Amino acid sequence: MLSGFIEALQKVGGQAREIETVQQAAAYIADRVKGSVLLPEQSSLDRAGLAKALDAAGLEVIRNGWRERSADAEGGVTGVNFALADTGTLVLDSTEEALRLTTTLPEKHFALLDPGKLVADSLAAVPYLRDFHARSPRNYLAYITGPSRTADIERVLTIGVHGPRELHVLLLPGLSDDFFEI
Amino acid sequence: MNKQRNRDYRNRIEKALATPRLQQALHNFGDAYVVARQNAFAGLDFEAMRTEIGTMKDRVRENRQDLLAEFTRNAEAAGAKVFMARTAADANRYIAELAKQQGVKTVVKSKSMASEETHLNQALEAAGVDSLETDLGEWIIQLAGQRPSHMVMPAIHMFRDEVAELFSKVTGQAESDDIPHLVQVARERLRQGYFDADMGISGANMAIAETGGIALVTNEGNARLATTLPKIHVALVGLEKLVPTLEDATNIIRVLPRNATGQLLTSYVTWIRGAVPCGDGDKELHIVLLDNGRSALAESPHCKQALNCIKCGACANVCPVYQTVGGHVFGHIYISAIGVILTAFYHGLDKAAELVRACIGCRACVAVCPSNIDLESIILHLREVVGEEEGVGAGKSLVFKRIMRNRKLFHGMLRAASLLQKPVTRGERTIRHLPLFFSGLTEWRTLPAIADKPLRDQWRSIPQKVDKPRYRVAFFAGCLNDFVYPELGQDLVKVLNHLDVEVSLPLNQNCCGVPALYSGDRETAVALAEQNIAAMLDEDPDFVVTTCPTCTMALQRDFQDLLGDNPVWAEKARQLSERTLDVARFIAEKLDGSNKFGVPAEPERVTYHDSCHLKRGAGVWQQPRDLLAGSGRELVEMQHSDRCCGFGGSYSFTSHPDIAKRILGDKIEDIEATTADCVAMDCPGCMMQIRGGLEKQEKAVRVAHTIELLAESLAEKTDFGER
Repeated sequence: MLSGFIEALQKVGGQAREIETVQQAAAYIADRVKGSVLLPEQSSLDRAGLAKALDAAGLEVIRNGWRERSADAEGGVTGVNFALADTGTLVLDSTEEALRLTTTLPEKHFALLDPGKLVADSLAAVPYLRDFHARSPRNYLAYITGPSRTADIERVLTIGVHGPRELHVLLLPGLSDDFFEI
Repeated sequence: MNKQRNRDYRNRIEKALATPRLQQALHNFGDAYVVARQNAFAGLDFEAMRTEIGTMKDRVRENRQDLLAEFTRNAEAAGAKVFMARTAADANRYIAELAKQQGVKTVVKSKSMASEETHLNQALEAAGVDSLETDLGEWIIQLAGQRPSHMVMPAIHMFRDEVAELFSKVTGQAESDDIPHLVQVARERLRQGYFDADMGISGANMAIAETGGIALVTNEGNARLATTLPKIHVALVGLEKLVPTLEDATNIIRVLPRNATGQLLTSYVTWIRGAVPCGDGDKELHIVLLDNGRSALAESPHCKQALNCIKCGACANVCPVYQTVGGHVFGHIYISAIGVILTAFYHGLDKAAELVRACIGCRACVAVCPSNIDLESIILHLREVVGEEEGVGAGKSLVFKRIMRNRKLFHGMLRAASLLQKPVTRGERTIRHLPLFFSGLTEWRTLPAIADKPLRDQWRSIPQKVDKPRYRVAFFAGCLNDFVYPELGQDLVKVLNHLDVEVSLPLNQNCCGVPALYSGDRETAVALAEQNIAAMLDEDPDFVVTTCPTCTMALQRDFQDLLGDNPVWAEKARQLSERTLDVARFIAEKLDGSNKFGVPAEPERVTYHDSCHLKRGAGVWQQPRDLLAGSGRELVEMQHSDRCCGFGGSYSFTSHPDIAKRILGDKIEDIEATTADCVAMDCPGCMMQIRGGLEKQEKAVRVAHTIELLAESLAEKTDFGER
């Protein structure tokens, strides 16, 4: 399923990298971002110590004041609830506004995914979708498949209109096995 | 008929036809779409998927009151306000008043066809509220002061230089027409808009009753921003977007992007339920459910299926008329086949009066519709309604009512015409030029002359040699085969006799009624159906065979539709339908005749044109190819073999000859590109159109009906035997 996920993600213009530590994640991000990144509170990433690793890699980590500061950040860093293998899709419970801003405003989105959190396709995702609705009375759930795109001028595919131009999925085993945790 | 309205419409056609780069762009799009779509559905069963969606949507339509109550209950429990707007004006008023109450100065919009339908931007402007479209295509047409020409790609009719010009006016400096640069300009210019706006307006692709949430299927990311940053979110949602469960919504998501743009999934699918967090508090979410004609459509016995549409736009992508004139001609707000129907219900029949006739009836849309909607049949029905409301035209009406219904008179006039045409045919079988005001008819294609002696008058003298017939079949010749191409009937006898089948030609058969039906004269079509059913079943034949697929569809489908609730005729119509077969299918399937015609020493290179009603009506395309290959022809496939030739009966004579001519031009290019010696087909109408075009352009490719080629094989075989 993992190779199918990676292939599908690459087909839609996303990048995938298999890594082993959060330090590698931080280094990967630091190689591609200058200055600051947005990093909302997320239990899996906080547990793994990502904020510290990013800081150590020389990045300014923004953890509040999203609306004001998001314009300055080149990157946004999130975990992933789970992913759909057949289309290379990330599923993020984005009910917290910070997560939405982190995945929409910066030019680059870095998503850390535990490769164990894969389901085959959107049909297999429905029971989880239903559970999200049962757990919380209000929801903003996002399926993200590759970077933002348009073909509105002469049908020429152009990457990066209003959302991120780049989507990097960092596959880190042992990050989380809980589909309801990001 | 409204003369000014019709004149405006004709002007729009003329203008579109004079824009070759638009046609080129839409043709290229259509080609790319077919490939992308095919790849996207690889390994999936499209037929099963669309049957599932169609069935689900049928259920939704029938239970819409319950589902609406369930949706509203769940949405309100999650903190949304739900408003039911009966009309477009109600929806606009609600949103404009909300904006006023909350002191909204500007709104950002993500793409919403429902808001185009209600003209929401104008209503907001009148209330002193600025609206900013943020979908790239929508922003472009907002700047240009136009309306979308496609449901999914609103600015598909515009080109990079035009966009650069519009953007230059916005930025106050000359912007290059490099597309990535233009996209960057849009990104930068629109970004602040999301922060400044007090309200975000979106549509919805689905409203899920189970959760009370909506789902948005998008690519650019603007909908995510427009539903996140402003304090107020208004979702304007057509009632038809209701689905019962998350599974149903997911089934649509599996099909919609694949069928719309050939994507497995769009970049974003966003599921929003309730008043989610926004800034320091909660979002104010208003869901405006829009009826505006949808309930009436749901109640329409003939048209209700159209409410199953999931707005993928595929019916435009594959439509030869759309590819020729674009969505600003073939559409009102909603475009193409589905647009014709929705326009009639949402904007009024008068807005759709021309559009219902602009459909050429090729059924290309029906083949790709992800909700299994029989768009062509519904458009035909609306044509009848327009015919009843506005008339079918005095001349046509006279011909249909007074002449065609009276078979002897009709056939007598055709015989007379055969004599009257002598001065223009000069004794030839082809009319190359017509005098005076008829000259337009032969400007771009020659026309066949009416035969000296119709098939029916020759029939007794055509020898039939069958010792022990396997079957006795009745031949439904249709007007063209009978009065224009009688030799095709002779060939049919030769070919079927060779396969031990005896053929009769019931002389009381009349026109199949399709010309009347397609012109909106149902009453004449019913009268002709009755005459033909009686004539064809009279001798109790084993099968009824046809050489014209439009007649096939009439006998197989239309007669049943026309007489389905008539106790005298319904059963007979069913019997005739069951016995009727296109002759290629009859030979291939009932006679196993593919290899019974010998193989010539030097095979002719033949390309095959799929007639619309044969492939997408009768479901026949492999059989004639098998017959041609089995009789030793070298078959070379043309591009777009199943694209309409532009005949469409009266479409190419009176209703839209200018569009028909362009569609024929495309077909001739595809035929020529194969360098075949012959183009084969199974429809006398297509023969007339394609032969007429090839002759007028003095091309060497010959045109033949599959039956004529099989008869040639028999003749060659005989020659060989005698040598």
